Amino acid sequence: MEKVELFKNGKRHDGRNIEDLRKVKIKAHVLNDADGSAYLEWGNNKIIVGVYGPKECIPRHLSNPYGARIKCIYNMSPFSSPGEHGRSGPSRRSKELSMVIGQVFENVIKTENFPKAAIEIFVDILQGDGGTRCAAITAASVALADAGIPMKDMVSALAVGKVSGTVVVDLDYVEDSQGQSDCAIAFSRRNKDVLLLQMEGDMSKEDMKKAFELALLAEEELHKLQVDALKEVYLNVKEREIFVDI
Amino acid sequence: MTEEIIMPGEQIADKPLRLSYGYIENEKTYSTVLGLKRDDKVIPLKGPYEARFGDYIIGAVSDVKFSGYNIEMNTAYSAFLPDRLIREKLDFGDIIFAKVMNINEVKDIDLGQVRVLKKGEILKVLPVKIPRIIGRDNSMITLIRDATECSIFVGKNGFIWISEKGNINLAVSAIRKIAREAHTAGLTDKMEKYLKENSDIKDLKENSDIKEDLKENNN
Repeated sequence: MEKVELFKNGKRHDGRNIEDLRKVKIKAHVLNDADGSAYLEWGNNKIIVGVYGPKECIPRHLSNPYGARIKCIYNMSPFSSPGEHGRSGPSRRSKELSMVIGQVFENVIKTENFPKAAIEIFVDILQGDGGTRCAAITAASVALADAGIPMKDMVSALAVGKVSGTVVVDLDYVEDSQGQSDCAIAFSRRNKDVLLLQMEGDMSKEDMKKAFELALLAEEELHKLQVDALKEVYLNVKEREIFVDI
Repeated sequence: MTEEIIMPGEQIADKPLRLSYGYIENEKTYSTVLGLKRDDKVIPLKGPYEARFGDYIIGAVSDVKFSGYNIEMNTAYSAFLPDRLIREKLDFGDIIFAKVMNINEVKDIDLGQVRVLKKGEILKVLPVKIPRIIGRDNSMITLIRDATECSIFVGKNGFIWISEKGNINLAVSAIRKIAREAHTAGLTDKMEKYLKENSDIKDLKENSDIKEDLKENNN
């Protein structure tokens, strides 16, 4: 890949400021046959999430009598990015992300309400351009709320990192692969609990502090988009017609 | 009545309240579901059925065991019905109306007070709409029963059984209408009018509401 100048005259390579998110668009309840679903476009990322459950945990020996098991399957489509060209099925990376996303939601879903059951989150990346795990968590939170699964809080996630010596928010694929550092953070809404923190590369303590401040600001914006997406479906009485199960 | 939409994790009240769709943290109550906030309560807009002691449910026999039956009832858990509680033998797929007699902390459900339902149709709605379909002191369901002359059983788990006898098409369209407009005020009056106006519905296709439903399904 050709080298691009990542940071120039206070602007990033795609013209954003350091604290700017890419354009995010969320739509809730996009699938008829899933209990809850969401579609998210985040820059060039395109993600669809379907949620099922709670339902019987299969295989039985994986069930937990103290609470529901969260099963997450993160999958990249064969056409989602140059790196994935033509390959399909689980990989080392997608296995890790499945686990990580599942663990984020174990913290917020009231699993104790559904002992021995399973809640399934299916994340499909239709198009990936950096920061898909954060986008997946943000979308999955909307899908879970849409499914009516009891949760203590909403979750939103975003990446912060360092490119050309500057701390920036929401790295895309180019910045991610050519920058110095990339750090995915997931926040719970109310207490701003950090539910996920994964970093590649290196950042100093001061940089990390600054990154967190920027991330918290951007999180507000993300949460607003999540709420708007849900309200758009549920506030409108006419739209509620789709919730009649046949 | 103030009505606003509430997200999981948003505050319901600044005092601790025991709610079925809320949780308490630091002496404050927060919502666990997406719902409508009315005064100090949350009415969920969607969600799974959570069985409670004393609920009446409709289920289907999913397994015949040595001493009873497993009942499938639209949840993650299957219930057990001992066969000493009923005289007749049930078979796979039979529909029953029963009461939750016991439920423990791992949600093993025991059923009792069984009634076997024969010659009827089953309708599935979202479990959160069931209270509105029943109405206060059974007002709504009595209204439909009287107007349609069907016998109707409503399970808290989201299944509704309607007998073949009577104006079944009117009953189905009325229940669907309630499920669709479950969060609007003055629904009983509206339904009274609706049932009176449409009392001559015989054919399913004549009903415009059902036509719309079918159209939605095809899309």
